[in-house]
Amino acid sequence: MIDFCSVQKPQRYIGNELNAVKKSHRDKIPICISYPDLYEVGMSNLGLRIIYGMFNFFDDIACERVFLPGEDLATALLNSNTKLFSLETKTALDNFEAVGFNLSCELNSINFLKILKLGGIPLKAKERPELIVFAGGIANPEPLAEFVDFFYLGEFEEGIGKFVEIFRKNKDKKARLEALSEIDGFYVPQFYSVNIRFNKYEFDKLYKFAQFPLKRVYVKDLDKSFYPLNWLTPHTQIIHDRVPIEIARGCPNACVFCQATKLYQPYREKKISTIYDIAKTIYKNSGYENLSLLSLSASDYSDIEGLLDVLISEFKAKRVGLSLPSLRIDDSLGNLYRKLLFLKKTSLTVALEAASDSLREKLGKKIDANKLFEAAKIIKSLNLRTIKLYLMIGFPEETGEDLLSIATFLDKLQSYTGLSINVSINIFVPKPFSLWEGAWMCREEVLGEKIKLVLSSLRKRRNINVSISQTTKSILEAILSRADRNFSSVIMKVFGASGYNIAENWQVWQNAMEECGIDYRTYLESKNENFPWSFIEGSKTSCCKK
Amino acid sequence: MQIEKFAVRLILEKSGDMIYFSQLDLASILTRALRRADLPLYYTQGFNPRVKMSFGRALKLGVAGREEITLYFTEKITAEKLQEKLTPQMPQGLTIIEIS
Repeated sequence: MIDFCSVQKPQRYIGNELNAVKKSHRDKIPICISYPDLYEVGMSNLGLRIIYGMFNFFDDIACERVFLPGEDLATALLNSNTKLFSLETKTALDNFEAVGFNLSCELNSINFLKILKLGGIPLKAKERPELIVFAGGIANPEPLAEFVDFFYLGEFEEGIGKFVEIFRKNKDKKARLEALSEIDGFYVPQFYSVNIRFNKYEFDKLYKFAQFPLKRVYVKDLDKSFYPLNWLTPHTQIIHDRVPIEIARGCPNACVFCQATKLYQPYREKKISTIYDIAKTIYKNSGYENLSLLSLSASDYSDIEGLLDVLISEFKAKRVGLSLPSLRIDDSLGNLYRKLLFLKKTSLTVALEAASDSLREKLGKKIDANKLFEAAKIIKSLNLRTIKLYLMIGFPEETGEDLLSIATFLDKLQSYTGLSINVSINIFVPKPFSLWEGAWMCREEVLGEKIKLVLSSLRKRRNINVSISQTTKSILEAILSRADRNFSSVIMKVFGASGYNIAENWQVWQNAMEECGIDYRTYLESKNENFPWSFIEGSKTSCCKK
Repeated sequence: MQIEKFAVRLILEKSGDMIYFSQLDLASILTRALRRADLPLYYTQGFNPRVKMSFGRALKLGVAGREEITLYFTEKITAEKLQEKLTPQMPQGLTIIEIS
């Protein structure tokens, strides 16, 4: 056994959180689920908690968790010939019947393989005679198709009952996969073939009862859907150390770059009474001191004022912090600002995306930036310390003028408010299923030029802090989110390279792509008639053979 | 406005899995346990009110043993009542040995 005192932050591996579920595996189907990153990151994911709670709701399912171990524990495991184990019962991963992953972050692909390897699980689906590896949260599953037995497309709350039913009825892996593939939402890659003919991806099914074309599945009634009320409360600090209370799913806006809008369609809200009950119960069960109202755009919640009134009156005396991370400026500075005073925000966050009005209009981002200047007085009364701005660059139609307007805008904002401004500039990635999924991703050198232009226009500003995302990281994110099945050979190569943090090294990826004969630009410049993910409904060029 | 505060001294024993949790972790474990127990907590004054408590000498990570902690309430609370309300909220490996 591993001596936990010999590794950093042993708290990550103990698995004795409040409300953790420990069941004996006798006469049960043992399932392990994971968010392939460190404990502190993975435990901040709401989806994983929902699935954990739902699986354990079934008496004959024992669902446990595993996360990416730190480098020190990984080395200790290898040196002592110990397999990576689940947190709850310390069971080696290869002793589970199924292991599930949340793959919503493309850059976690290598971590995902690391967990399989450390857990003694063969990496490729066809090398596993019994164990089923499944995954969800991913928009375009193709680059990982070789490693995963089935993907769930959409919201797993809708599919979990069917999953359990089929696992109870069938004990054989092939029978399980066949039965799953007949149900909407379950995508079993080995039952489909993909070929590129005349600049077009052609998809065929190899198992005649498999669903085709594939559909994403959505929760119909958010008020009745499961929420993890027995909140798994870590005894140590995690990245987002607050309880997310989901108030709505999806987003009624249609910003062209946004993937989440499309993946979580349609827009659905929870009733105030449901949210109130959930928040109250979770507080009672966890004692958490911070709650955060989660949605893609809280401003669009139909009665956000009413909701805040109800929650503030419940939690004010208990000194429970409430945060509202996704407000539009109109609300932050309009009728809600008095309520926000109670929330004690120390910074105002504005997702502006583009500084020039004309570009913002093209992006479908309905924000009136002038509100910020008009409301300078209110901003001052909020006792803020900083304003945080989110911007994006690298759009296909963006001009030099658009880029230079960033500096003009920030200077004006600074002089109006007198506050220091933190600007975070991200690079546009044309994500699958977003309205601009067919747009080209800028080349590295073009992005480099753009960044240079922005930075040089912003030199010598004392109260403006700029952070810009790394071009190579954004390019890698774009490749991983847009690639096809051929790309799995590159992923294998990178995984095989030495070093624990190789996945962040662009040079390693470049070498691997070169060795595999893959020109990654083909993924970033849509010259084909359709996309690797066009067999899933929702893409603009979905074209499915009859 | 000054709110009166009532101090209660607590001796806790750390054992089993709880030895892997640091002093900082312990503060938040206790805070949440006190919140779940719905006790009349005394909060620190200032911009970000926190549940007030003070710690004696800390135990090293990975070491079992006893620790002394002082908790503060806005009402007088008997040892029996605190024991009764707080015990069910304590994680396994964190045992209340003495309240005074």
